[in-house]
Amino acid sequence: MEPSGSPRVFRSALRGSSRFDPTAAHRPVLVFENVHKAYRADAAVLKGLTLEIARGEFVFITGPSGAGKSTLLRLVYAAEGVDSGRILFLGRDIGRLAASSVPYLRRNIGVVFQDFKLVPNWSVFDNVAVPLEVLGLPQRAIRTRVGEVLERVGLAGRGNDTARQLSGGEQQRVAIARAIVGEPAILLADEPTGNLDPVLAVDVLGLIEDIHATGVTVLFATHDRSLLDVRPRRVVVLDEGRAHDVRQGLSEETSVPPRMQVV
Amino acid sequence: MTPLERAFRGAKSDARLYALGVFSVAVAFVCLAAALLVVVNVNELYERWGDTGRASVFLRTDTPAAQVTALEQALRRTPGVVKVRYVSSDEARKGLAGNGRDPLLDALPLEAFPASLELELERGITAQRITELKQQLGALPAVDAVETYEAWSERLRALLSGGVAAALLLAVVVLAAVMSVVSSTLRLSLERRRIEVEVLKLVGATDAYVRRPFVLEGAAQGAMGSVLALALLGVLFAIVRSEADPALFTLLGLEPRFLPWYAAVGLLVLGSLLGAASARIGLRKLLEV
Repeated sequence: MEPSGSPRVFRSALRGSSRFDPTAAHRPVLVFENVHKAYRADAAVLKGLTLEIARGEFVFITGPSGAGKSTLLRLVYAAEGVDSGRILFLGRDIGRLAASSVPYLRRNIGVVFQDFKLVPNWSVFDNVAVPLEVLGLPQRAIRTRVGEVLERVGLAGRGNDTARQLSGGEQQRVAIARAIVGEPAILLADEPTGNLDPVLAVDVLGLIEDIHATGVTVLFATHDRSLLDVRPRRVVVLDEGRAHDVRQGLSEETSVPPRMQVV
Repeated sequence: MTPLERAFRGAKSDARLYALGVFSVAVAFVCLAAALLVVVNVNELYERWGDTGRASVFLRTDTPAAQVTALEQALRRTPGVVKVRYVSSDEARKGLAGNGRDPLLDALPLEAFPASLELELERGITAQRITELKQQLGALPAVDAVETYEAWSERLRALLSGGVAAALLLAVVVLAAVMSVVSSTLRLSLERRRIEVEVLKLVGATDAYVRRPFVLEGAAQGAMGSVLALALLGVLFAIVRSEADPALFTLLGLEPRFLPWYAAVGLLVLGSLLGAASARIGLRKLLEV
């Protein structure tokens, strides 16, 4: 077994001090401070976005296509860098992390994608086990943990199937299992239901809600309004590069201008 | 899972493409090894003919046998002379005609084939020493003429050194082609496994962790390709050698030889290094996730 680094390095690096700080548990897990991001000089995606995500929250990020939902999530797991502003994850500025620290950041974040991002010719077990192998856990611990997670996502006994043998819904369950197997501090879901039919979409949402119920902070980016109405949740609408907080869901919010209404 | 196990899993999961990569490396390395084989054998020819001093001391027809024997013994003691062999007129005629009978050669008088003393000179003997020997021998009453083949040897030496240079140049060109083919094939293979790299990066793998199995796979692919190439070339070499006229080798004075062990090991190492380097270079772009 050859770990690519100590799994504790990032967590300990996040601490500002070695002394116990009782207020730390109440600090927001994720803070966006006046974040600007543009892919082209004349087309900014985020223009001074400010947002706070509390520990254990479930937040829908919504907005029309091109509003910057995926960009917002990519900034969190450092696939992109901010042009200006700050993103604080567990109190640490992601934008100031050295490239060599990014892997340790990602070990604290689970990500689920619309296109699942599974290795098609690997088995379900191998796809789910990969974050634990990166951490360098012993094989026995990996087998136990993967077994537990597969059971949790309703795929118990399917570990030996190859990913390409599964249906879309099952593949997304594998992707969710992979995202949570390392017990991340936050789960980012980037249009996870985009490739699924409405019934499966609600099913996947339910699964992510179950995971949230165990205390995981969830950021769920979607443009599917029907999902927002399933249960009242905090909804953040991205418009004109800024975040507009709609605490109780879109259906209960009357102040949202029509151009911000999502379809 | 160790990097080796991960490399094995990667190769197994895309076995067909992996085999294609090995085959491409093998084809490219057959060309390189063949060029090296040419270099080795031309160099052997060069060593055999370009550097060996020979001389023929043609004797007068009326030289008594006792005088020939005395001359032969004196030459054996002469510094710079390694071997002396007496060739009678009859043997000279047979040597030219071979085993068959040629009526034209039979018709020639015996004087047309003077008896001679064939000298094998020391390796590395200087041109000055050869000239001295020629002058000393030419002054003897029993000696009709002395042929040292210097001009012929000089021409052959120039021709063979040109051959060695051309073969080396060919080897360099082939090496460049090999590098291009190997890196393109391995890059194609890596491109197909982009998702694997992306996933590893997204779950927090460091670049070194992602790179290790790919580099191992590339090295193994390169090594396997070069071993396959050596095996293929060995078979081709054996076929050509068995089909070629043995008289040609007798005439050339040497048996063609396969690549020496150190060249084979060198090719194996080169294959591994090329595979590993191509994987590393190919991954560079993919790692920017």
